[in-house]
Amino acid sequence: MISNIPQLTGFIFIVCDLITAHVLYHTAQLFMSELFSRQMREKEKYAKDAETLLLKQSDLVLPPVYVASAYLFNPYIIFSCISQTTTVFANLCLAFTFLLMIKGKRLACCSVLALATLQSLYPVILLVPASIYIAKAESRRSLRCSSFILTAVTFITALHLLLYISLKLAGGWEFLHATHGFILNVPDLQPNVGLFWYFFTEMFENFRLLFICAFQINATVLYLIPLTLRFHGEPMLLATSLTALTAIFKSYPTLGDVGFYLALLPMWKHLFKYMQQGFVVGCSFLSTSVMGPVVWHLWIYSRSANANFYFGVTLAFATAQIFLVTDILFAYIKREFSLFHGLHREVNGKTTKLVLE
Amino acid sequence: MGLLTDPGAGHGRLTQLLVTYHNKLIILLYIGGVLWFMILAHKHFNAGTYFSENALLPGLVKGEFDEDAIAKVYQSELLDEAAKYPNGVPYSWLIAKFRQLNLDTYTHNFTLTYPLGLGNKFTGKNVYAILRAPRSSSTEALVLSVPYRPPSSVNPGTAPSIAIMLAVAKFFRRQKYWAKDVIFLVTEHEQLGVQAWLEAYHKVTCGRSGVLDHGDMMGRGGAIQAAINLELHAEKIGHIDVKIEGLNGQLPNLDLVNLVHRMCSKEGVKHTFKNRESGNYRDWYREWLHSFKTLMAMVATQASGVPNGNHGLFHRFGIEAVTLEGFEKKGKGSPALYFQVGRVLEGLFRSLNNLLERFHQSYFFYLLPAADRFISIGMYMPPLGLICAGLVIKAFALWLKMQEDSTKKQPAENEDTEEDKSKLSNQDSTNNFSLVPVGVTVLAAHSVSIVMLSSPQKLNALGLKFGLSTPLALYAGYFIMTLLMSILPLFACRHIGRTVESRSIFNIVALLELATILLCTSMQNFSLALLSAVVYVPSGLLMVPTQNRILTILQKILWVFLHPLWLLIIVVLFHTTLTFPDESVLVLSEMGMRAVLKALVFAVVDSYIYANWLFPVATAILLPNWILFWIVLHNSPYQEKKEEKNED
Repeated sequence: MISNIPQLTGFIFIVCDLITAHVLYHTAQLFMSELFSRQMREKEKYAKDAETLLLKQSDLVLPPVYVASAYLFNPYIIFSCISQTTTVFANLCLAFTFLLMIKGKRLACCSVLALATLQSLYPVILLVPASIYIAKAESRRSLRCSSFILTAVTFITALHLLLYISLKLAGGWEFLHATHGFILNVPDLQPNVGLFWYFFTEMFENFRLLFICAFQINATVLYLIPLTLRFHGEPMLLATSLTALTAIFKSYPTLGDVGFYLALLPMWKHLFKYMQQGFVVGCSFLSTSVMGPVVWHLWIYSRSANANFYFGVTLAFATAQIFLVTDILFAYIKREFSLFHGLHREVNGKTTKLVLE
Repeated sequence: MGLLTDPGAGHGRLTQLLVTYHNKLIILLYIGGVLWFMILAHKHFNAGTYFSENALLPGLVKGEFDEDAIAKVYQSELLDEAAKYPNGVPYSWLIAKFRQLNLDTYTHNFTLTYPLGLGNKFTGKNVYAILRAPRSSSTEALVLSVPYRPPSSVNPGTAPSIAIMLAVAKFFRRQKYWAKDVIFLVTEHEQLGVQAWLEAYHKVTCGRSGVLDHGDMMGRGGAIQAAINLELHAEKIGHIDVKIEGLNGQLPNLDLVNLVHRMCSKEGVKHTFKNRESGNYRDWYREWLHSFKTLMAMVATQASGVPNGNHGLFHRFGIEAVTLEGFEKKGKGSPALYFQVGRVLEGLFRSLNNLLERFHQSYFFYLLPAADRFISIGMYMPPLGLICAGLVIKAFALWLKMQEDSTKKQPAENEDTEEDKSKLSNQDSTNNFSLVPVGVTVLAAHSVSIVMLSSPQKLNALGLKFGLSTPLALYAGYFIMTLLMSILPLFACRHIGRTVESRSIFNIVALLELATILLCTSMQNFSLALLSAVVYVPSGLLMVPTQNRILTILQKILWVFLHPLWLLIIVVLFHTTLTFPDESVLVLSEMGMRAVLKALVFAVVDSYIYANWLFPVATAILLPNWILFWIVLHNSPYQEKKEEKNED
C-alpha cells in the first residue's frame, strides 16, 4: 500500500485514531454503567454521610465524552498521528483490548491482546486484568478457576497463531530477534523519552545482562503482583495503572503511550477531588513537555548542552508520571475508605487526617 | 509527605500559610531573585576563569612570527586598491595575493532576495584561501576570517586585519606542524557573507528557503573546529576587545575566550571585555558596580540575539568563534604593533592546532562580569528560578483557593436541612465546570499569534498596493491586528466568565504558561529570559481582576504598554536616548521614530535570513501569553461572584 497509494497513508493514521477514540468512548460508557450498577448493589453498606461521594446520573454521560475528547485533543496523540508512528496501531489494539475485556468476551479479547503483544511485548501483563474480567463474566462460581486457565490457554494459542502467520510472512525466525529481541535486549541506545538509554550507555558489558533483567522485571512483573493483590476487585483500575507503568518503564516508550493512559483517566473523574498532587503533576507535565525539545535542540543541534540536560528533563517527566499513577491509586483507596466509613473522621472527638504510611 | 493528606479535613498547615501569605512571599521571592542576580557580579560570588581543555597548552610554545614588515606593505597596497573600489571589494588583488602565497584560492558567490520591500536581489562574493595541512588529510579545519569593509562603509575599516591576515598566512605557509587546514576568509556585506559561506560550506539553509541563496563552494576543507574573526581598525592597536555574543544568545566555549585573553596577556597586548578593563577599585561598592555594569552590558547584548560580530554565525554549526576587535591607540603608552598581534594569532592557532576533539570541556552557558571572572549556569539559574517561582506559587495559591471553595461548600451542606439540598444540586452543576471554554480561548490566542507571525510578507505585499513603505506597512498591519486582538476579551469573557472556577483556571493557565516560557527561554538565551522575567513577572502577578475601578484602569494601561510591540518601541527609544545623549528632544524623537520603524523590519528580515528567533519568540510565544493575561484582566473579579453566590 505504501508503494501504491502513498498519499492515503496519513488518512489511515487519522482513521485509526478516530476508531481508537470511538472504542475508548464505548469502553468508558460500559465502565461507568458497571460502576453505577455496583454502587446500586452496595448502597446499603455505605456510610450515611457519604452521599456526596456517590456517582450521579450526570456521571454516566460526561466521562465517556471526556475520555474521547481527552484522546482526540491530547497533544501527545496528535503528535503521534502527525509523525505517523506505529504507536497509533499499538494504541488501537490496546483500546480494543480494553473494550473486549470489559465486555468479557474471551476469544476476541485474547486475540486482540495477542496482536498487541506481538507489536510491543509489554501488553502481555494485561492478561491478568483481562482474565479477572472474563472470570467475573462467568456466571457460575465453580468455573472461575478454570476460566483463568482457559483464558491463558486461549491467549497462548492466539499468540502462537499470530507468530506462525508472521513466520510465514517473514519466511524465517529472524523477525523474532528483530522485534521482541530488540525490545528485550535494548541494543540500540539512541536517546528517547525512556530511562534505559542513559543507564546502558555507561554500563560495562559483563553487567549488561543483569541490568537488562532488572530493568525488564521492573517494567513488567514487579508491579503486577502487588497491584493485582490489592486491586483484584477493580480490574479496570489495575489495567490502567499497569498500562501507565509500562508506558513509563518500558524499554522504548513513546509519547503516544503516555497519551493513551492519560486519555483513560477521565473515567475516574470521581477520584479527582481526592488527588492531592494534581497541581504539581500538571505543572511538571507542562514544563517537561516544553523543556524536553528545547534541551534536545540545544544538545543535538546547537551542541551547547549535553546528554545530562536532556536526561534530567526525561527523569522529571517520568517522576511526574509516577506521581500521577500513585496519586490515582491512593485517591481510589481514600474514596473506598470514605465510602464505607463516612466523610467525617473523628477519633476521640478530634478530627483526623488520612495519611499514607 | 505533607501533601498527601485528606481533603475532607482541610489542608496542612504549610499550605494554609501559603494561601494566606502568598502575596508577601511572592514579593520576597522576586526581590530576592533580583538581588541575588545583582550580587553575583561581585568577586566573592563568582569564580575565576580556568582552562578545562588540557590539550590547548596555551602559550607553551615560543612564538616565531616575524612577518610584520610584510604586513605594513600589504596594508599600504590594500589602501591604494581599496580607494579604487569605493563600494566594492578588490577581489583581484586579494586573489592575486593569496595565489602568490601558494594557497588554494577560491571565490564564493551568493545571492540575497530581500524578503520584504520590492524583493530586490543583492549579490556578493567571498574570497577564501585554504592552507592544507601538510601532515594529515584534511579532516579538520580552522578559520581566520575578516569582514571586508569598503571605504564607504559606516563601520570602522578593517584593512589592517587583512594585512595581518596575509602576513600570518605567509608565515603559516612556511610551517610544518599544521594538523588542521587553515582557511583564510574575506567576506563581503558583513554578516551576510559569513552566513552564506557557512551555509554553502555545510550545504544547509538556516533561514527561510529562497531568501539567501548560498551558492556552491568550489573548494572545501575539513570540519571546522574553531574560528577567529579579526576586526582591527588600525596598525597601532591600543586594546583588543574580545566579542563573544552569538546568534540567539549562543556563546562560544569559555575555553576559547580564556585562550584569547591568555594569549593577549602573554604578548603584552591590552585586552578588554565590552571595552571595559578590570576595575581594581579599593572600594567594594565601586568594584561591584564596575563588574555589574560589564555584566549588564553582556546581558543586553545577548538578549537581543543579534551577534555583535561575524563570529556569532559560526556557533550554530558547533564551531567555537570569537571576534577580536582592535582599536587605535590614543594617548600615552606603547601600542601593540603588527608584531604583537601576529604573535597573538600565531599562539592562538598553534593552541587550536593541538586540539584532539571539538571544544566540549568547558562551559557553554556563562556570563562574564569581567574578562577573567565568570558566572556559570549553575550560579545564574537559581535567581531566575526564584523570580519565576512567584508565578508558580501564585498559580498554586489560586488552585488551593479554588479547592477550598469547592470543599467548603460540601461539608457545610451535609448539616443543612432539606431546602438547602436543592442549593446543593445547583452548586453541583457549577462544580462540574468545563475546561472547554478555557481550552478554546487558549487555542484561539495561539492561532491569532501564529497569524501575526506569518503575516509580514503578506502585509508587505498589501502595503505595496497602497503605496506604503515596508516599515509603515508592517506597523500599520500589526496595529490593526492588535486592535482586533484586543477585542477578543469581549467574546472570551462571556464564555469563561460564567463560573469562578473557569476564571481561576484561566488565570492559572496564563501564569503557568508564562513560567514555562521564561524557564525554557532561559535555557537557550538566558539574558532574554532574565530581562523578560524582570519585566513580566511582577506585571503578570498584578493582573488579577479587582473591584477598584482606578486600579483596573491602571492595570489595563500597564498591560497595554507591555505588549511586545510597545516594548520594542520603548526599548529602541531608550537606546536611542542613551546612544545620543546630547541631542535635542526634537531631533532625538525624530531619530527614535526612524529607528523604531527600522527595528521591526530588521527583526523580521533577520528571522528570515539568519533564523534569528527574537521575532518568532515575541509573536508566537510571548504574544499569546499577553493575550491570555489581557483576557484575565477583563474578567470580573473573583470575590464579587462569591458574594453573589452567598446572597442566593
